[in-house]
Amino acid sequence: MHRIVSFLLLFVLAAPWPVFAADDFAGSVKNVQGSVSVKRQKMELKAARGMKIYAHDVITTGKDGSVGIILRDNTVFSLGPESELELKEYVFVPDQGSFAVLARMVRGTFVYMSGLIGKLSPDSIKIETPVGTIAIRGTRFAAKIAGN
Amino acid sequence: MKGIVIIVPCLVLLLLTACSSQKNMFVLLPDQDGKVGSIEVINDKGSSVANKPGECVSVAGSNSKPQAAPALNDAQVRATFAEALAIEPLQPQSFLLYFKTDSFELTNGSFELLQPILAAINKTQSTDVSVIGHTDTAGSKEYNFTLSTKRAQTVRDLLVKRGVDPVIIEVSSYGEADLLVPTADNVKEPKNRRVEVIIR
Repeated sequence: MHRIVSFLLLFVLAAPWPVFAADDFAGSVKNVQGSVSVKRQKMELKAARGMKIYAHDVITTGKDGSVGIILRDNTVFSLGPESELELKEYVFVPDQGSFAVLARMVRGTFVYMSGLIGKLSPDSIKIETPVGTIAIRGTRFAAKIAGN
Repeated sequence: MKGIVIIVPCLVLLLLTACSSQKNMFVLLPDQDGKVGSIEVINDKGSSVANKPGECVSVAGSNSKPQAAPALNDAQVRATFAEALAIEPLQPQSFLLYFKTDSFELTNGSFELLQPILAAINKTQSTDVSVIGHTDTAGSKEYNFTLSTKRAQTVRDLLVKRGVDPVIIEVSSYGEADLLVPTADNVKEPKNRRVEVIIR
């Protein structure tokens, strides 16, 4: 038994790929059309399919733009044209029971779909908008935000 | 009488268009399995709940109370949210592969699942695949963590060997910390000896 463990440990330690992904990305861009940008710290990046999304990113679509994003827990955000979404906070560490989704729908049109966090810890999800916050019970909804 | 016949449909039409013409609105939709939960829109002035498909909450501004507005039908939902709905990604697909006891060898039935997994990765042109290893509670925690890692790596290798780009695969493992079927410690449970493959 010990020999098997040692053998496996050796294998794990020698593995060229990460055993635990150290990367703390929140999700990735799944579908993108037209002009879509991601503001990260002071950079403004052009969104592309497969691009990783991190907490604090601000995603903005142009007049002809739309984008679909899937987060690590399978939460899905889709944005129509002239829309802006700020992913303020994202934590998904199921083995430690820590979860948080805090996003702000700044303006535009959105479709939101709950993922695992919606099942495991619905109170950890908070969606803000300029006219109120939304509490979600495991579901999908659409929002149109024009402001005040 | 004739007047009523005309007025009533007009009123209905007016009510139905009311929500889609709102400045700010939230519409509850069914998920891909047709299931519906609920949303509650809350601000300083009050709150309002939607819990049926198409139900709508409208908010005139941050100083206005959220209010229930007439439900939207499918055509109105499609018209109002056309672009966001068209770009909406499919829900990620999840597959479970099972393993022989104290081993990182797939069960025969699970081996046959590799083909549908590859097909799903290709069909959705996924760039984000998670491979997550688990064990049952037979054996020590440390041993099981190593075993679950090896199981996940085995599945990763099988996928890469069949043409999946290793860059898109993220491997992780939970050992016996995330049981599918809850059991006491030191229990052999075939359903817990698994690797989950999530295709986003």
